Amino acid sequence: MLNGLDIEGNSPLHRMPVRGKLILLFTAAILLLLISDLRILVPALALAAFLYLSTGIGLKEAFRRTRFVLFTVLLVALANYLFHSVHEALVVFCRLSALVLIAAAVTATTGISAFMDEITRLITPLERFGFVRAADVSLAVGLVIRFVPEIFARYGEIADAHRARGLRVRPLTMLVPLIILTLKDADTIAMAIDARGFRRH
Amino acid sequence: MDIVFSAATVAYGARTALQPLTLTLAERRIGVVGLNGSGKTTMARLINGLVKPTAGTVTVDGLDTIADEAAARGKTGFIFQNPQHQMILPILAEDIAFGLKNRKLTKADIAEKTDAILARFGISHLARRRVHELSGGETQLGAIASVLVTGPELLILDEPTNQLDLKNRALIERTIAALPEQVLVISHDLALIEGFDRVLVFHEGRLAADDTPSHAIAAYRKLAAC
Repeated sequence: MLNGLDIEGNSPLHRMPVRGKLILLFTAAILLLLISDLRILVPALALAAFLYLSTGIGLKEAFRRTRFVLFTVLLVALANYLFHSVHEALVVFCRLSALVLIAAAVTATTGISAFMDEITRLITPLERFGFVRAADVSLAVGLVIRFVPEIFARYGEIADAHRARGLRVRPLTMLVPLIILTLKDADTIAMAIDARGFRRH
Repeated sequence: MDIVFSAATVAYGARTALQPLTLTLAERRIGVVGLNGSGKTTMARLINGLVKPTAGTVTVDGLDTIADEAAARGKTGFIFQNPQHQMILPILAEDIAFGLKNRKLTKADIAEKTDAILARFGISHLARRRVHELSGGETQLGAIASVLVTGPELLILDEPTNQLDLKNRALIERTIAALPEQVLVISHDLALIEGFDRVLVFHEGRLAADDTPSHAIAAYRKLAAC
C-alpha cells in the first residue's frame, strides 16, 4: 500500500507554509529543552496535544501513530524517577511527549512533495561547498517518509500470510521476509527513480 | 527513432541472460513475446539503460546507453510490470510532477505540463487522488502519464495488461493504440500485439523469430508447445 503519513484537511496547521512549521518545531524543541518548570511544561503538553488533535486526525489514529515513541518516552521518564526524582521524571515526560506530539502534527499536515521542495530550498545554498546535492537529500528524506507506511503494510501482509497458513506470528519468522521484501521494494523504487530520470548527472 | 543493438550481450557471471543480439528497430509498434525468463525484459531494459550490455552496444537515436546514458534515457519511458512500484509520491499529480523536477522548470511550467498530461489521458479528476486508491486501469493510465510527461519519444511497457480485468484491458489497448509515440510492448496478451508492425520472439536468451504478428505468434506458439 502506497500512502503518505499526511492526512487531508484544512486545519490552520495544514494551511501554514512548510517552512513555518519547521521553524515552529525547531523553536519548540529549543524552548522545551530550556524550560524545566512544570507550571509551563504541563500546559505546553496540553497545547501540543490540542495542536495534534486539531489536525483532524482522530484520537485512535493519533494514538496508534505515536504509541511506540510515547512508550519510549515513558521508559526514559521511569529511569529518571528511579535515579532522580518524581519532579525530574515529570519534566522529562512532559518535555519529550510535547515534542513528539508537535512533530507528529507537522508530519500529519505536510505532504511528502511539499517536504521535499522545502528541504531542497533550505539545502541548496550548501551545494556551493560541494558537500551535498540538495535534490538527493530531499529525495532521501521523502523516501523515508514514503516507506514508513509501506513497511507497516508489508508487516501486516506477512502476518496475514502466517495466519492463513496456521502459523504463529513470531518476531523471527516475521523479520526475515520483512527485511527481504523491503530490500526488494527498495531496489524496484531505485530502478523507477533511475528510469524516470530524476537523478541526471 | 532507431534503436540499434550491435552484438549486445548481457551476462551475469556464468549465466547469459541475453545472447549477442544485433537488431535495428524503427517501427512505430513493436511487440515482444517469449516464455518467462526468455530475455525479453532484459532486452527492453537495455534500451533505457536500466541494464547495461556486458559486451556490444545499444544506441537509441544514435546515443549510446553507456556513454550518453542520461540523454539516451531521456528518449525512452518505461512502465514496469507493476506500475504501483514506480509511483514514487502518494498523490497522482505530485507523482507526475516528480518526473519534471531537476529539469530547471518553473513551478508554473511543472503545473501546466502536469495538468496537460492528465487532461490528455482523461484523468484530470484523479489528480488529487492517492495512488494506492486507484483501480488497476487508472493506475496504469497514471503511470503512463507520469512517464510521458517528460516527453520521451519511445514508450516501453512491460506486460501492461497483466492483472487487469477485461474492461481495463480494453481501455489500455485503446490508449496504447492512440499514442503518437513509438511503442514497444512486452506481453503475454497476444491479442494486444496482433495489430502491431513487428513482433520479436525471444527464447532462452536469443531472438528466435522476428516477423509480422501472425507469423511471429505462430512461431511463439510452436516454441511454447515444446
